[in-house]
Amino acid sequence: MLRTTLRLALASWAASVALAQGPVQVVEAKWVMASDAAHPNSMVKAAVVAKVSAGYHINDHKPTLDYLIPTELKLEPLKQVEVEDVTYPKGVLKKFAFSDTPLSVYEGRLVVGSVLQVGRAMAPGAYTLKGKFSYQACNDHACLPPASVPLTLTLKVVPPNVPLKPENSDVFERAQVE
Amino acid sequence: MDDPLVGQVPEPEGAGQGGQAPQAPPPPQSPGVSRSKVAAGAVLALALVAGLYVANRYWIKPAVKIQAEGSKEHPAAPDFSLTDISGNKLNLSDYKGKVVMLDFWATWCGPCRIEIPGFVELQNHYANQGFTIVGVSMDDSPEPVVEFYRQFHMNYPVAMGDARLEELYGGIIGLPTTFLIGRDGRIYAKHEGATDVSVFEDEIKQLLALAPDKEAANFQREGYRARGDQIELGDPAEIDSEVPGVNLTKLTAERKETFKKLLAGQQCPCGCKLTLLKCRQVDRQCAISRKAAREQLEKMMAKQEASTGL
Repeated sequence: MLRTTLRLALASWAASVALAQGPVQVVEAKWVMASDAAHPNSMVKAAVVAKVSAGYHINDHKPTLDYLIPTELKLEPLKQVEVEDVTYPKGVLKKFAFSDTPLSVYEGRLVVGSVLQVGRAMAPGAYTLKGKFSYQACNDHACLPPASVPLTLTLKVVPPNVPLKPENSDVFERAQVE
Repeated sequence: MDDPLVGQVPEPEGAGQGGQAPQAPPPPQSPGVSRSKVAAGAVLALALVAGLYVANRYWIKPAVKIQAEGSKEHPAAPDFSLTDISGNKLNLSDYKGKVVMLDFWATWCGPCRIEIPGFVELQNHYANQGFTIVGVSMDDSPEPVVEFYRQFHMNYPVAMGDARLEELYGGIIGLPTTFLIGRDGRIYAKHEGATDVSVFEDEIKQLLALAPDKEAANFQREGYRARGDQIELGDPAEIDSEVPGVNLTKLTAERKETFKKLLAGQQCPCGCKLTLLKCRQVDRQCAISRKAAREQLEKMMAKQEASTGL
């Protein structure tokens, strides 16, 4: 009993030290493209690369339990650009003190892929796509409120005769597909 | 026959036998005697004043200081008024005289959920001794809370919390966050993260044993926080300000309006595309606009002081 109390007290302390830093941002996210530009009437890969701070996890896009808040990428519509696919990675099953059931969660680095369809009539130029990466993070003993990271992607459209340069190959080669 | 009333003159008291004249009152004392008495009185008065000063300086003031420090360690729990999920008014002040466990939680929070069955047991066990739990849900809407309340057979009041209440209680960073409030209305403990029910039970028993009119100087807080650590609470002057997070009480009404116009004319640096004033009003949690607004106030106050030559 004493050992349990001490262990939980120490765990609470660890949680509180982690939480006591003021408003806590535990997820960073950025939007990247597979090439430096896109042609009209073409498809281009884009991905959100997110990083979850050590000690924390966020829920799978399809959470194990229905009361958990899912991780989601929400994109604002832009004329002439269609989001064809949003692909979430597989979560990792982990057992936590607060749940009898192992939960599917994301930890560390994760990549959420998407495919953008650029419209036929899209004129060359720079366009801004907006979105947000929504999540709800916990550690072993406490949870932070639901939060989101605002995202901005500059989509450069060039004429079909302009060659495209591949970019962020490390992201797109490693991205998992559900 | 002689009239019995005529010719009878009563004799003055003290008149000696044989008809002696009454004694004159004693002459006043000579000035020399009264001066020494006055001097003695002055010395006595001085000694009394000196004695009072010493007593105040070295005995009374330190005792008051200790009591004040005790108060800082156990601050008064900010009162609030909410509506519980049954639609009834819930005021913290209604529970004065009881030991209250104030629990900030949410249905989407796994660590919060595992504590609830233990809390139900605590409420069952200690309610008739003057204890109650008050739950404050930080869910976005009451529907999941009502469903959870039924499913888990919760037996204590639960109300929906808001950002203002979070700020009053020092900023609720994570859930669950639980406060133990004594019969005297003071906060004796704050627990962040899931905590074993036995820890709460020990603290509740201590607080139940105390009289409501005395601060518990020797309360033994379980868990990580050492005795003497202060429980930080929000400043109502900042929380209830027309510019949330910025204390405007030192401004006149006119200066307040000038300040608000100043903020309304600046874009918030957090990237929200709102003015600084609007961002403060719609997003109290935005640390960037709060910092920026406070800096603007400091600049304005510094200009004011410089212009008045202070």
